[in-house]
Amino acid sequence: MEFGPGAATRLAGAGTLVLFLCWQHVEATRLGYQVETARKTARQKGSRVATLRVELEERLSPAEVSARAQRLGLVPVEPDALRRLEVRPAASGVMGRWWARRLRPLVAASRS
Amino acid sequence: MDLGLRLTVAASLCLMPALPLGLRLGHLQVVRRSALESRAAGEFARVAEEAAPRADILDRAGRVLARSVPSWSCFVDKAMVKDADAFGVRLAPVLRVPASEISRKTRSAGRFAWLKTKMDAAEVEALKRAEVEGVGIAPIQERVYPNGDLARGVLGLVGTEGRGLAGAELTLDKRLRGASRRFALMRDGAGHAIYKSVADDGRMPDPIRLTLDRNVQYLAEEALREGAEKHSFKSGYLAVQDPQTGEILAMASWPTSPLKNPLVQDAYEPGSTFKVVTALAAVDEGLVKPDDAFDGENGKWQVVPGVAITDHEGQGLMTLSQILERSSNIGIAKVVERVGPSRFYRMSRALGFGVKTGVALPGETAGELKPLSDLTKVGLAACSYGYGLAVSPLQVIGAYSALANGGTLMEPRLLYDGKPGARVRRIGSEGAVREITAILEGVVERGTAAGARISGYRVAGKTGTARKIDPLTHKYSTSAYVASFVGFLPASAPRWTVLVVLHEPHGAYYGGQTAAPIFAALGRRLLALETVTPDMPADVLALLPRSARR
Repeated sequence: MEFGPGAATRLAGAGTLVLFLCWQHVEATRLGYQVETARKTARQKGSRVATLRVELEERLSPAEVSARAQRLGLVPVEPDALRRLEVRPAASGVMGRWWARRLRPLVAASRS
Repeated sequence: MDLGLRLTVAASLCLMPALPLGLRLGHLQVVRRSALESRAAGEFARVAEEAAPRADILDRAGRVLARSVPSWSCFVDKAMVKDADAFGVRLAPVLRVPASEISRKTRSAGRFAWLKTKMDAAEVEALKRAEVEGVGIAPIQERVYPNGDLARGVLGLVGTEGRGLAGAELTLDKRLRGASRRFALMRDGAGHAIYKSVADDGRMPDPIRLTLDRNVQYLAEEALREGAEKHSFKSGYLAVQDPQTGEILAMASWPTSPLKNPLVQDAYEPGSTFKVVTALAAVDEGLVKPDDAFDGENGKWQVVPGVAITDHEGQGLMTLSQILERSSNIGIAKVVERVGPSRFYRMSRALGFGVKTGVALPGETAGELKPLSDLTKVGLAACSYGYGLAVSPLQVIGAYSALANGGTLMEPRLLYDGKPGARVRRIGSEGAVREITAILEGVVERGTAAGARISGYRVAGKTGTARKIDPLTHKYSTSAYVASFVGFLPASAPRWTVLVVLHEPHGAYYGGQTAAPIFAALGRRLLALETVTPDMPADVLALLPRSARR
């Protein structure tokens, strides 16, 4: 069997392939560590976000809001203490009609 | 020797040592491959499970009522602990649990015992740093109710294994539970994990929206709690329903328990709130005209020899409106004589009594409606004013909602899907329903339900006061009552039907004195919350300055 330059080239190619596969394996392992670390971090952060969201909901709970309102001296409103004011844009004159056209959608939106 | 031969010899000499290695490698990789693979997998590969959080339960506006947050529990593997006392002393400052308790748990029977549950991330880190042998940490999902005890009777309870035990958590358990995500991992020599792949994507369940309104629920619970302070009743419950859609906006009970929802599970004798069924049957069939008069017999009437019905006040001649306004048992018993058992029974069933409503909560009662064959003259008379039968609070509120919306019985709904409510059936003609609604307004304006009046608004409703059965004597008690009020507001365009039921109030015990004021207190807050325009013109005019009253 003769070991010529062609065979040497093939051997070098095979060696390169083996090296590439080794590098790929090492890199996959390194990325595996990174992914696992990232997964743990994400889990911790997710856990923190969930806890903060619950804290936020606790702060916004009606009992909590009511207690804070009482501390500020506020009392529940009676329905007859409320006044609903309706905006009726004047539609007389050129400018009046122009403003009325522009204000009408806003008034409708405020009613809904 | 030419160059080629020399290279061949050199290469052969270089590769010679690799030959036995190659052969050994081939032997390990090919011949013993499967055995070694499974051994390595056992030692290094593992599957990590990431528990899917239980889905959120939201109110109708998307506000959180129940949520799962990650938490941890730690346990002891007793086989790895030699000295339980030393173990307890070492762990006590880390877990902030008495050393004696840890030692006791470590000595108890079985190899495994929980040491502490619901640990936060800081506690877990401290425990990891302590490196105590025999302690393990398990991630769990803790169920949290950010509004405290708000709506706990509806929401229910979740067990330590993350399964629903009561309430909506139980009924909707399958929809709320997700499937864990699983990851394939490898462990290196130092025990560090190396991510390989996702073994199973799992399933993240979608949040479930209830028809409850967090604010309405809070106001309902507050009104009931204030009522409890005033009348010190044994137990009570309050429900709010949207009469147009059948959606349940609030379900409050006092005292609160996550294990029981009396609004769905309890049946009670409704007393006078049931008179509406008799009245509607009579008006719908055209058997009673508005000016027809019935004799009140001055407060005592013998239905059959030996059986008498009494009223709390002696009455003379009364129209149907006056019978309901004064809540006369004798009057309504005379009305039901005209109606007859079959029409009365048919109307009771049409209004949903005697059958389950199908609401998405566990343990619903169907109540008890006497079969037609048992409706003798005396039985029918008793049923006409709400005795001798049992109803669930949901059935009562559903029946009054049907009156409020113009005569359609709606399916009570607890799951919000944004769709219009499901109609069950028509309960009577439009005219009859309108007439009964007007009578119910009269009950509040001129009758027994004066306590339910709200200045500036039209309110319709009916009081009820029923004696309870004494469990010892099995006879009607003379001291224990069920006081109730059910009504809707504003009567011109009803937005809420409210039922208040109080068991064994102390002192005043009439529904008009105890339950009706709770209704009014809640009604005022609901009207203010939604800034509903007053629908009683006289009061509106009174609010305006004199110059504007034209």
